[in-house]
Amino acid sequence: MSENLDDLIICSHCGTLHKKVELAEKKVAKCSVCGKKLYSNVEDTFKKAIAYSITSLILFSIACIFPIIKVYIAGQESDLTIPSMIVTLFNEGFYVVGSIVFVVIVIAPLSVICSYLVLGILTYFKIFRTFSKHIISFLITSRHWAMVDIFAISIMVALVKLFGYAQIGFGVSSIALILFVIVDTFVLKSILPVELWTYFNRAYDEK
Amino acid sequence: MKNSQDKYIRCPYCESVNIDNGKTIYCRTCKNRISGNKEINLRNSWAMLITAMVFYVIANIYPILVISKFGVTSSNTIIGGAIALWEEGSYPISIIIFIASVFVPLLKFILILYILLNYKKPQKGSKRVDQAKLYHITEIIGPWSMVDVFVVAILAGVVHMSSVKITAGIGATAFVLMVFFTMLSAMSIDIRLMREDNNGDKRAKNRE
Repeated sequence: MSENLDDLIICSHCGTLHKKVELAEKKVAKCSVCGKKLYSNVEDTFKKAIAYSITSLILFSIACIFPIIKVYIAGQESDLTIPSMIVTLFNEGFYVVGSIVFVVIVIAPLSVICSYLVLGILTYFKIFRTFSKHIISFLITSRHWAMVDIFAISIMVALVKLFGYAQIGFGVSSIALILFVIVDTFVLKSILPVELWTYFNRAYDEK
Repeated sequence: MKNSQDKYIRCPYCESVNIDNGKTIYCRTCKNRISGNKEINLRNSWAMLITAMVFYVIANIYPILVISKFGVTSSNTIIGGAIALWEEGSYPISIIIFIASVFVPLLKFILILYILLNYKKPQKGSKRVDQAKLYHITEIIGPWSMVDVFVVAILAGVVHMSSVKITAGIGATAFVLMVFFTMLSAMSIDIRLMREDNNGDKRAKNRE
């Protein structure tokens, strides 16, 4: 095969084969059949992701430490924090539910954030090439399992369920959680795998 | 670009283009396994799917939520909870719960079944695109069935007063396992299953 495979890209949405073209700054390549984003100018997006991953690490820590909602029922007050929720599940013997919830709303998002940070450091110093390859694969896999956005929606649903019985107050973390979801959806999850690999190749091959 | 014989395959991890030689392929860029033995992959997908379906039935029979109010215990199944919300007048939430917990898993089962059942039949180019799209849809909607599990976890985590106490039910465990296995089933679908009998030349296009 004479064609260089690196110049080709297959649309993840409809499977159409395309030939890559050089993009000017802030331009996005879209699929000619279904219009889905194929790739964009990588330098910019990746650096943005590193910066935002620090932000989201702070936001996520706040969201984990402080209460998200406060509920008052019949004069009694009770707080909801992510750790307390998981501990309650474990105490009641729901180990399976507890561990899966723990993985999808704590471990997976943290893995994504940490992978970005580590990747940023490694590519900056151009060290441990094989290790950063594993990090990228790990990042892409853990993104599948990070479900903080769904958790945020679930809080809304739970609030509506509680509305008739309880008085509800919002804790500090609710804002942090919402901001985290926004950053996560628009920056951390919006980077396409192909952009990560292009950045990776450029970072290590450039001298 | 004219191309007739070589099949290209997209690596799901790094999206780099590889040549499909019909055997086990490891991605040339990230070294992850793109596609292995088709029959084994197919059997894996079936096994995961059937497991998920069994858990789905269990999740719908047993209560997902147990509420004890002043010593009186009542329990809610998934559908029961959605109906109760509807009767209380919170229609949007009732619809969200119904879609996320009843409709989405069923839709996913049907989509995966469709892909698994159809893979041996010869397909025209346009139909193949449809299957890839279906697969893409299952990947996107899959995690949303977790809403009900999270709601149960939140309620159980926050409502444990002396007068009212909410705990999770057996249904919740079955449900979370159902979501887990459906995701695994969708992930273990070999992308080559969706591209049988396609020589690729119709899809090869240039883009400027």
